[in-house]
This record gives sequence, C-alpha cells and structure tokens, in this order.
Amino acid sequence: MRLACDTGGTFTDLVVEDGNEIRLFKASTTPDDPVRGVLNALALAAEHYGEEQRSFLGKAEMFIHGTTRAINAILTGNTARTAFLTTEGHPDVLVIREGGRIEPFNFTVPYPEPYVPRRLTFEVPERIEANGTVRKPLDEAAVIAIAEKLKALKVEAVGVCLLWSIVNGEHEKRVGDLLAKHLPGVPVTLSHELNPTLREYRRASATVIDASLKPLMFQYLDSLTNRLREAGFTGRTLMVTSGGGIMDAEAVARAPIHSINSGPAMAPVAGRYYSDRDFDGLAAIVADTGGTTYDVSLVRDGRIPWTRETWIGQRFRGHMTGFPSVDVKSIGAGGGSIAWVDDGGLLRVGPQSAGSTPGPVSYGKGGAEPTVTDCSLILGYIDPDFFLGGTMVLDRAAAATALKTKVADKLGLSVEEAAAAVFTLATEKMVGAIDEITVNQGIDPATAVLIGGGGAAGLNAVAVGRRLGCAGVLIPEAGSVLSAAGALMSDVSSDYAQMLFTTSRRFAFDEVNGVLAGLEERCRVFAQGPGAGALKVTVEFSVEARYAHQIWEIEVPMASGRLDSPADLEALKQAFHDTHQSIFEINDPGSDIEFVTWRAKVQCQLREGGTGQLPIQKADGAALERRDIYFSRTGWVDAEVVRFESMPSGAPVAGPAIIESSFTTVVVDPDTNAVRTQGGGLRITFQ
Amino acid sequence: MHGQSPPRRDGVKTAILASRFESIARKMQNTLFRTARSGILNTAHDFSCVILTADCRLLAAAESLPSHTLVGPDIMCRTVKDYHPHLKAGDCFLHNSPYEGNSHAADHCLIAPVVDDQGVLRFFVLAKAHQADCGNSRPTTYLGDVADLYEEGALIFSAARVQTAYKDNQDIIRMCRARIRVPEQWWGDYLATLGSVRIGERELLELGRSFGWGELETYAEAWFDYSEEKMAEAISRLPSGRRVLESAHDPFPGVPVGIPVRVDVVIDAEAGRIGVDLTDNPDCQPCGLNLTEGTSMSAAMVAIYNGLIDHTVPVNAGSFRRIDVKVRENCCVGIPKHPFSCSVATTNLADRVSNPVQRAIAEIAPGFGMAETGPIQPPGMGVISGLDPRNENEPFVNQIHVAVTGGAGTPVTDGFLSIIHAGNAGMCRIDCIEVDELHHPIIIKSRCLVPDTEGAGSFRGAPSARAEFGPAEDCTLKVLYTADGTITPALGARGGTAGGKSRAQKRERDGSLTDLPPCHGAVLEPGEWIVSYSSGGGGYGAPLRRDPERVLHDLREGWITPERARSIYGLVTTGAADDDSLGIDRAATEALRMTLTTST
Repeated sequence: MRLACDTGGTFTDLVVEDGNEIRLFKASTTPDDPVRGVLNALALAAEHYGEEQRSFLGKAEMFIHGTTRAINAILTGNTARTAFLTTEGHPDVLVIREGGRIEPFNFTVPYPEPYVPRRLTFEVPERIEANGTVRKPLDEAAVIAIAEKLKALKVEAVGVCLLWSIVNGEHEKRVGDLLAKHLPGVPVTLSHELNPTLREYRRASATVIDASLKPLMFQYLDSLTNRLREAGFTGRTLMVTSGGGIMDAEAVARAPIHSINSGPAMAPVAGRYYSDRDFDGLAAIVADTGGTTYDVSLVRDGRIPWTRETWIGQRFRGHMTGFPSVDVKSIGAGGGSIAWVDDGGLLRVGPQSAGSTPGPVSYGKGGAEPTVTDCSLILGYIDPDFFLGGTMVLDRAAAATALKTKVADKLGLSVEEAAAAVFTLATEKMVGAIDEITVNQGIDPATAVLIGGGGAAGLNAVAVGRRLGCAGVLIPEAGSVLSAAGALMSDVSSDYAQMLFTTSRRFAFDEVNGVLAGLEERCRVFAQGPGAGALKVTVEFSVEARYAHQIWEIEVPMASGRLDSPADLEALKQAFHDTHQSIFEINDPGSDIEFVTWRAKVQCQLREGGTGQLPIQKADGAALERRDIYFSRTGWVDAEVVRFESMPSGAPVAGPAIIESSFTTVVVDPDTNAVRTQGGGLRITFQ
Repeated sequence: MHGQSPPRRDGVKTAILASRFESIARKMQNTLFRTARSGILNTAHDFSCVILTADCRLLAAAESLPSHTLVGPDIMCRTVKDYHPHLKAGDCFLHNSPYEGNSHAADHCLIAPVVDDQGVLRFFVLAKAHQADCGNSRPTTYLGDVADLYEEGALIFSAARVQTAYKDNQDIIRMCRARIRVPEQWWGDYLATLGSVRIGERELLELGRSFGWGELETYAEAWFDYSEEKMAEAISRLPSGRRVLESAHDPFPGVPVGIPVRVDVVIDAEAGRIGVDLTDNPDCQPCGLNLTEGTSMSAAMVAIYNGLIDHTVPVNAGSFRRIDVKVRENCCVGIPKHPFSCSVATTNLADRVSNPVQRAIAEIAPGFGMAETGPIQPPGMGVISGLDPRNENEPFVNQIHVAVTGGAGTPVTDGFLSIIHAGNAGMCRIDCIEVDELHHPIIIKSRCLVPDTEGAGSFRGAPSARAEFGPAEDCTLKVLYTADGTITPALGARGGTAGGKSRAQKRERDGSLTDLPPCHGAVLEPGEWIVSYSSGGGGYGAPLRRDPERVLHDLREGWITPERARSIYGLVTTGAADDDSLGIDRAATEALRMTLTTST
C-alpha cells in the first residue's frame, strides 16, 4: 500500500493506493501545524478501511508528500536570516536582477527588495573567467574575515554564488570549506552544486532561497517523519519536487528549494498518465483549478516541458528561482475570484479573490463580494445541498442577491445572464493563460486534450476546451486530487547538469563526452542509492542549445549519452532543428548551433502502469435526478444529474447534463457527450 | 452611426473582446521574444507588437516600450495605405522611415494588413523590433554625431512590400543581407518578427470569423469610448493649470551648445484634456538626435500617462482623444525634415521632452506627475563591436544593457531602479554578466549601485549604477555611446533634488582615470577599461518629509551614507550599522528636520 498526501492552501488531499484500487480523502489544511492536517486525512482513511490508524499505517510502504510549507515561508517572510556571498565587484546581483517590469504605467508598485538585503551581502575577492581560468585567486583570509562578520550578525544560513562557478567550482568549494570551519553549524548552499545554470542572478537567487529554507524545512521534515513513525508508519517518506519527481525526505531537507513548486509540478505527471490511458496519448493541456489560482501545464510526446524562469510571486515583482522546474503558468482565476463592474461599466473578474476566508458569499462566512463559485450556484451547476458531498450547505439566495446588486443591475442584465457572463469572462482569462503557454511551447490546442484537475475544474472545463478548439476534455476520476495522484505515478528521480560551451562548427567531442560520462556516473550512483530496487532505471540525456547569437536555449533530447562520430553530431543537430521547428514554427538549418549546458536525468520507476483505479460503486437505485441549469446559449434547460461514482464505463451521457461526485461537479454543455472510459476517467467530446 | 442617445455599452462583450485582443497582441509578443536572434530583442526585449483598426487607430498593444507604441504605428499604417491602396492577404511591409512615422531607422517594422475572406481590410498588425545593426556607416544603431542621413548611412525602407502572398520578396532580403552587419542575426530577427505578425493576422482572422467583422467594429468603437471616458475621469482628478518648463540636451558634436527644449503644458480638468505644445523649439539640427513625429508625440504622451498615476486607463486611440500634442515641421522635437538624421530618436532628446512634461504635471498637480527620469545612454548601454578572437576573429556588434537605472521619484513610490529611460518604462531587460562575457570577448570587472546618487525626495529617485568593463585577451573593443545627462541631470519635482549625473571614463593601463567625451567611440586594448556611470532619477517632494522609516531603510541598505541621511533627510539614528541595530531617534529627527527646514 502506498500513500500520497498533498497539503494545499485549503485542503489536505490523500490518495490511498491499495493494490490496483485507489481511494480519495480530503481533510482541512491546518496552517498552524500542517502535520496535524496530514494525520487527520490519514485518520479518515483508516476509518474508511475500518482499521486502527497504527495497523493501517503499518501496511504502507511509502508515504509521498507534497506541501506548500516552503513557498508559504517565502511568501510570508518566515525564512532564516540569510547572507549572500558574491564575487568582488558584483555586490548587487540580487538587487539589479535581470531587469524587466510589467504594466508600464503602473507606478504604484515599488521596485522589489532583494531576497537578501545588501547589508547581509559580502563581496569575496576572487574572479574566474568565462573559460574557467582564474583571473584573480581566492583571498582566503578575506573569506575568514567575512565568516567572523556573519557570526557577529547572527546569520542563520549562507548562499554562495560566484561568477562562472558553473565552469570552475573550485573557489565556491573552498569558500564552502572555510565557512564549514569558521562558521560551524550554519547551513551553506553553493550555487554550482545546487543549480549549475548560466546567468548569475537566477543562480544566486536559487542559492539564497535554498539556504534560507534549510533550517525550517529540516525542522518540518524531521517533525513529519517522527510523527508518522510514532503513528505507526515504518516505510519510506518521499517528497515531491518542482521537477515532477520524488526524492527522499532527507535529500529534500538538504536542498529544500526542490519542494517549492511541488504541488503544481505533479499535475502534468498525472495528466501524462491519464492522457495516455484515456485519450490515446494526445498532447495534454493540464489545468489545475484551485480556490485562488488556475495552473496550466503541458505534456507532449510524453515529455513535460521545463522552464528555468520560475517565479515566486508575480513575474518581475517576485523572485526568480532559476531552478529547472515543470513549466506551469499560474493566473489568479479560481472559484474565489470576485466579479465586479468597473466605473466605465465593464464587467471584471478578479484579480481580487475572496480566497477561502471569507470565501464566496454563499459560504455564509462573511463574504460580501460575488465570486465565480457563487455564479456556478446561481446557474444551477452546483447543488447547494451536495457541495463537497454535502459537508457544507451553500446559500444560493445570498449569492443571487449579491450578484444582482454588485453586477447584474449595473450591467442591465438578469441575475442568470450576469452569472453566465462572469463564467464566460473567467473562461476567457483561462483560455488566455493556456494560449500563452501553448504558444511558448508550440502546441496546437486542436491536437490536444484538456485535462481538468482540482475540485472546481469541471464547472467550465468543457467551455474552456470548446473555446480552445481542443480535441476533447478529460476529467480524471482522481482529478480533484490531481497533485496527490501524480505523486503516486512519479519516479524517484534526480537531475544533473554541467555547463560546457561548444558549437556545432567546432564541436569539442572529447570534452563533451567527458562531461556526459561524468553525468552518467552520477546517475548510476543515484540509481544504486535512492533508486535501489526500482523496476526500471532510465537515464535521459539532453542538451540546452540555441542558434548562434540567440540568448535563450531550448532543451533538446539526445539519442544517447555519447557523441562518438560526426554522424552522431549530425543527428543531434537535426534534433535541435526539429525541436526548434516544433516549438517556434521556424528553424534555420544553415546556422551554427551553440551547445551550453548538458543534462542527465535518472528516473527509477517504482510501479508499473501509473496508478490504480477508483472502483465503480453500485448505483443505489434512487430515481434519476434532474435540475434546471443555465447556459447563455440556451437559457434555462432541464438537465440530467448523474452520480459520477456509479457511472458505468462506456455508457454515454449527452449534454446538457451535470455529473457530480463528492469532490467535484462536471458541467456537460449542450452539444457535447461524456462517457466514462475503461480506465475510469470522464471523456468529453464535442459534436 | 449612433442615434441621439448612444446605446448602452455592452459591458460583457466589450470585456470579453478586450481580453481577446490583448491576448492576441501578447501571443505576437511571445512569438517574437522566443524566436529572435539578437540580444537586443531576446535579452533586452526591445520590440513591440500592436493591433490597429483598418483606419489606422491603435487598438491593442502587448505590454511593450511606450515610446514605440503610442504614436507612430498609426502614421506608419497610413503610409502603407497611401502607397499601397489595394492591400491583399499575404502582403507584408518593411518600414523604418523616420520621416514617415517610425522611430529611428534601427527599428524595423513589419506591417501586415488583416484582410478578410471577401478581400476587405479589417485590421493591421505591426511588430517593431530594434535591430542589432541597420547598415549604418559605423557599427552602432545610435549615431549622435552625424550631420545627416547620408552620414548616418542607414538603409531606409518606406512601406516596402517584403512579402506578397506570404512569400518573401528576395530583392529586399538581399539588400538587407548585403548592407547589414551580422546578416544572419538580421535574418533570424526578420523571421521572428514575421512570425509574430503572421500569428497576429491568423488569430484576428479567426476572431472575425467567429464573432463577425461588424461585431468587432462595434467593439472597437465601444472600447475607444470606454477608454476615452476613463481618461477624462482620470484627468478630472487633477487641478487645472499651465506650466512652461525647459530642459536641455547636453552639447554633442554638431550641437556645441546643446539643444534646449521647451514644453508648454496645460491641464484643463473641467474639459478633461491635457495639452502639450512643442512648437517653440529649435529647427532640426545637424546631428543624429532629432526626433521623429512618432517619438516626439509619444515622448509627451508617455509623460502624461506616467503623471496620471492611474494605470487602469487603457492606452489606445480612445484615450488619446483627450490629449493634444502640438508639433511642427522641421523641428528637432517635432516632424523631421529629410535628410536630417534621427538616428537617436528614441532616447536622448525624447527624454528631454518627457521629463519636463511629467515634472510640469507634478508642479501643477500635487500628488500627480513625476520627477525627471535619468537621461541615457552611458557606455554601460553602449554598442560594442570588434573581432572575436575566440571565434576565428568573426566580427561582433551588439548593444549591451549592463548598467543603467534612472527611475524617477513618483508621488507614491521611489524611482524604479531598472526603468532605463522615460520612454522605456523598464520594459527592457538588464544583461547578465555571464551572458555578456560568454557572448562577447569582454570582461565586466564590476557593476554596482553608487550611494548618494539618488535624487533626494519624499520619494527618491533611483541611484546611478557604475560599471567597469573592457576587452578580453587578444581583442580590441570599440564602445560607441551617446551619453546625455553629463551636464544637465534629471531634475527633482516639488522640492525633490536632482539625480546623479552620467559620466564616462577610461582606466588606463597604469590604473589612472581620464574623462571621456559624452558622445564618443572609445577603443580599448586589453588592460584598458571603460567606466560608466548611469544617471540617477530625480526625487519627488521635499527630502525632509520622507518617511523616516524609508530613510532608515536606505541607510541600512547602503543606498545612502550616514552623512547624507543626516544632512539631506534630517535623520538621526540610534544603534550601529556594525551589529545591524540602526534605529530612528524620532524626537531628534523631528528637531533636526525643523532646524534644516528653517535654515533652507
């Protein structure tokens, strides 16, 4: 038995995989002590299986965990007091950043503060050049003097990022040694070890963020593993990572930056599996809907696109991690987004959100502003008496009153027209976000399936898919807990990189093969350590490359881990041209290619074939339900209401219809058909 | 046409279509960014993508350089229509003529008409991209010291049809390849820009098919009306008033006494209008600093949108209806006369228009306007060139953005550090040291902020940045730059002080420093370095009224020295910097501020 548990902002999701069956559980997240929320979810599961928690947990060999702990600590400023060590002459790497701004005429937003203040930034006398030669040797006495200052300033963590350490890491290593000796007990992160990527700001940023999380994540993971053990768990604790893999909890404690984007990173892992199982492996647009955000990611040819431009907070206003992570675009459009009319009479949705407190008007917890969730209630999409399986009764009348006064009257519309308009506009924003990421990755939505994850996904997934012109929409049976489900499908994995600049015209075969051999060896060590006992080990090589004079590299998969002949190089060049063509719709076969960073990813597969299925329940024999729902195209229509849990596979449901489960509601628009697949997901296609 | 009472605006459809148009412009922008070759595009982001109506009014723009997008695209599309009255699907035009709406010749625009299935012109899409090179007489895209266009030497395209039926006109491609340095880089950027307009065209055609073209036209008018109302409303919050202010570009070759600029700004709150008169200014000058019609008008308008402190006003032809910018022919800040050169038309003199306008708004209207933004371009954003010894002495040329700051103090925030200059609004990127050193045979020895160079104010300007760089081994490096602000700094507004001046120096092999001229082409051998200081931004409001917490922050963070904290901001501290225990002595601060106020 394996357990996957994802602690989100509102809910702690748990998926129990027992042989070939899975079960889903949701408990409230407990922000003051998140481990309690985890234990509560486990208690719900134990109760379902009719077992004592101890014996239940005793059967589990693996506990896979995702948490927003690290990201929350950053957003609330509750990280360690961290110092930054940089190359002499370049004290303002974290201040000057890489420039860029959004909203050219918005001067109300100040310039962002550096992640580490200037007063905790120290210049190290040394300099290495782009080709790795030492221009100025490291002044060790100066480093020791800095260590003394850090002690006096009561610094709790240190990030070291020196220029060109990615080509020659000796100075950074030596600084690390000196700090270990002269500043014992204070965790240190070295940039070339953590994130050997070109561009000093993002590497430095990742380095100091990682260092600043070390004390707290060590403590959190220590507490989690201890309390699980006390509760009876004897298996292995793993954490999901921003790279869409899983790692032992101790490894994450040593490099906690891996955990900051872990939730959204799991969605495409799950999406890949479901698209394969239920939609013939089409490219998948994975949309995960939360209370306040809408996260979009992609899967194509079984590969999940990565990005080096991951921001904490808003682009250019927050901090870039520069850490390779699954490319997820997040916009502020969730069920909690507030609908309003601006002073020029235009309908708006968001960016303000009612969040989970006070939440939508219909929650009756003091929310006064109508939200998207309120609109779905007004339109009949959500049953006020069966929200989250009936655990919460919603106030439809209050939602309608709020929408009438705040939106409908101002626009001269009826309440249901206004609610439908709010949905259309929210759909438009989501489509805009998807458009942006599909353009960047060169995917045509018409050849893709939209996968809806998150409890609120089903409310307009069909509308979003139709507007994008997708081949279809898929709501997986575990869609409401997509991240946790993805965690069960993940491989124990690790990623290694080494920079070596060379060009196709003067390709440095020997040096490249040396780098690749080094990367392969590290993968082998990983496979024999954390990956021991895997069903299958795969090592994939790739290179980040670009045309001469381009600045941004793209990742090109390599056929093998060596380039032995000019023919191998030709094949790699062709792979680059093909990848460039598929992403950007152009290529330039006559151009020289520059190869920058070489990568190897080792994946140790723990389980065959994704994850188990949600068993189909027997229909309880109750009469078919119907209710009136509203679409702007049709007005009110009488629609069939189907229980998802008891839907047999293969039997089609024609829209307009509502398909409900304890965790989610799927609106099946007119002129669309839904069918439960053999695998258990809900496959929706357009007529 | 509307009847007596205009129909109620469809607040839902307008919102939805606004979002659709915006995302199309963004898609164009992403396409260009991701595929461009030159650093100036894909690193520095110096390009813009816009959509215009069939009658050439600006409808939507992806977030991009304001100086590119406000006025200019409209004139250029009109030029295309004039020369090519029968536009067909598959046409695309290359245009960079500074005398017909463009900014400087280095900004190549591709303009594609969006023609529906019936052959009716519906929209224009335009993408403008700053080229690494445009065939100038010397390897830079900013030639300040040239007498005219002929000496500047740029290839000028006036609505040249570069594609017919979606196929390149190879004649034009060959012309560019023959005259532009780094032709491969140009070709890559051309493909990227073309991809951008074609994606915009495709998306608009789909939008027209699904909504109906009539519906889109109705939307455009509704969106313009909405934008105009928002603009009128924003202007009505300001008091009415008039200010005539002056600024001056520093002396440059060809203009030995510099160029004075006078702006006459009138705010009419009741009528909801703002006017800027630029006609009382010198004729075109025998140098490369002359503005174009597009950059003159955009420069004034940038300052107006900056000064409103209301970014919810959509920037398009609708809100433009509330702005009157007067320019005249043959004026250095107006409509240029052929063959005067406009090689530097996007930056230097344009800033000398924007800056006094935003300051005038501040002087008329407390709580609005801005101080002056730092002038450019010091060597830290110069154009570098040479032969790359690491690469078989292949020639290289590119503009770098190593060290430039300049944000002006505003009524609500401190100057944005990486604003670059007024017309840029911080939309371009700043280079990574490692990327620059990898791409070019250069070493950037240092880059950092300079304390006490901020224009002091209740909201201070951004400080100067200092950079020192030079050639790597076996390379001779040429750095061409055109630095304004070495004499006339960015002034403060409403009692704020001026920002630090820009400066260029050369460090000789013996370590000594010599001053370099403001507009210059420095040639450096290994062991020689160029030192660049960017201009700081001006401050807004009296420094003595700056929130002491903000002063303390700047002091702790080393943006200002203890001496300046005390003498300029009147801050008295407790504790010590060494153990990070600095605090505010409130009573003493208040007393000192009182004394300093009465003594000034």
